[in-house]
Amino acid sequence: MIQNFDAHLQVTLRALEEVVAPALGGAEKHVVEQLMLSIASIGFVKTRLPEARRFYRMELRSCIELAGESARIAGAVDAMSTALDTAKSALADPEADNAEFEAASRRLRDDVTALSYASVGHPYQKQLEAFILEKSDALVIQYRLWGLPFGFELKPETLPAPIW
Amino acid sequence: MAGEYQTIDENSRRWPTDAVVAEIRGRYPTEPEIDKILTRKMHRRREGKGYTGVTLDQLVDGTRRLVSERLGVPVTIENAKWLSGGASKLQMKFDLDWHGPDHGDVRTETLVLRMETAASVTESSRLREFEAIKAVEGIIPSPRAYWVDPDGDFLPYPAMIYAFSPGRAKPSHDAGKVSGLGQNYGPELRAKLAPQFVDLLARLHTIDIAQITGLEHFARAELGSNLSIIRQVNTLRRIWEEDRIEEDPIMEIVYRWLIANAPPLDHVSIVHGDYRSGNFLFDEDRTEITAWLDWEGATIGDRHQDLTYAALPSFAHIAEDDQTQLASGMMAKQELYAAYEKSSGLAVDPARIVYFDIYNRYLLVILTLAASARAVQIRGTHQDVLVNYIVAVGYPALSDLRNHYLEAIG
Repeated sequence: MIQNFDAHLQVTLRALEEVVAPALGGAEKHVVEQLMLSIASIGFVKTRLPEARRFYRMELRSCIELAGESARIAGAVDAMSTALDTAKSALADPEADNAEFEAASRRLRDDVTALSYASVGHPYQKQLEAFILEKSDALVIQYRLWGLPFGFELKPETLPAPIW
Repeated sequence: MAGEYQTIDENSRRWPTDAVVAEIRGRYPTEPEIDKILTRKMHRRREGKGYTGVTLDQLVDGTRRLVSERLGVPVTIENAKWLSGGASKLQMKFDLDWHGPDHGDVRTETLVLRMETAASVTESSRLREFEAIKAVEGIIPSPRAYWVDPDGDFLPYPAMIYAFSPGRAKPSHDAGKVSGLGQNYGPELRAKLAPQFVDLLARLHTIDIAQITGLEHFARAELGSNLSIIRQVNTLRRIWEEDRIEEDPIMEIVYRWLIANAPPLDHVSIVHGDYRSGNFLFDEDRTEITAWLDWEGATIGDRHQDLTYAALPSFAHIAEDDQTQLASGMMAKQELYAAYEKSSGLAVDPARIVYFDIYNRYLLVILTLAASARAVQIRGTHQDVLVNYIVAVGYPALSDLRNHYLEAIG
């Protein structure tokens, strides 16, 4: 089957860049700006689409590690077990799709935040905060790498390699 | 899990009930006018109406009715055109024949209609923006504000009308930057604009608030008190609660710190709230700043908020030496602070700089990963593709927030 996404995105980009954009010479500035941003957005999708499954799986693995250790620090292993089991099952399921990985990651992040909220005043509060901040670093850097095509990094050359 | 902290779930965030809105309002108290605007946002969202495209004819008709009603005489709107620029508001330029505010001879004046859309990067009050511009009239170059339609009685959405200001937001050699983010003015232009950038900020912050009338929709901030700062932090936390697409535990940790460490005001200033590259117009030939725009985030508070905002990495670029980070494309951060102290006569307090460095990164994450992402999700703006692009600023900002927070707590 040759109707693949990459070909569709490629032809759409060519049409917009080589036919539509030159024809908008006299158009209002905001019209041209929206076209250029549309081209950039489609270009982003074209670049990242083949990597999306690997990315969401990497994200979920990281969230499982974050939630597992956070629960241990907070003494909430039992309370976290349902969300963790769901997440691990998704990761182990060859038929699970990206939306399932994404939903499981979001739930774990919600639950870790809830642990942090509940930790105020407890002896383990500082340890939990320190762990969250330390563990989150690597994942947020991966998010930054994912968004590199948007061009908002001041020094992209200083970022590490992607791990997805 | 989740439990008490999770005020609302995604479904309630998308279609909030009165009880949900009331709970969030109670949990994060803020200024009355901001409370009104954020509550209006949630009610509007519940109705499920995204932004519906408007035509120039519709805007001309609404503008004509608004101005006619305010002046008490019929008026004609001519030469209406779309005006690009800005990420959050829709703008139309037009000509109006009238006697002017001084009731002189009839003349043609070019004006700008600035209107909200269904959702925005920054949900804000047109009344506050109108009053802020009025407050700095004659002190800071800014468009002269004439009329406001705060509840959208004449136009499809709330709007205001002000004088058109000549000038450009981006230099001709680097006009492609989105919303002026990372704007590079080049060495020659920078050398001329940077002192004005600093002096105008100093002038803004040294306005004697006691002498200013008309800021009716701003809560007062008191010297020696941190209540106004806490209200601001709660505004941000409320937006995070109302708009976020997904949670991040870093945000909860930082919120607690911002509340616990809010500094008392050592001087009360009008704060622009969005003082950065891309938000002023300049004359490229005369190398002169002609107008400061986007007063929608203005507040009464701490000068360090504007200083650290102007120095955020998102608005910076690396200089020709390949090393120096130029705050808002103007000068290195430390140079900016030193020049500001000299120009304003006000001290730049390192402790408050640390606080507002974190505050503004927290703000930036919320405006991008929550407000902008949500505005796009509900098809809320006239340029979703631009607003969605800006969402990408959020992760460098989150990373930077984490790093600054760790430095602050040692």
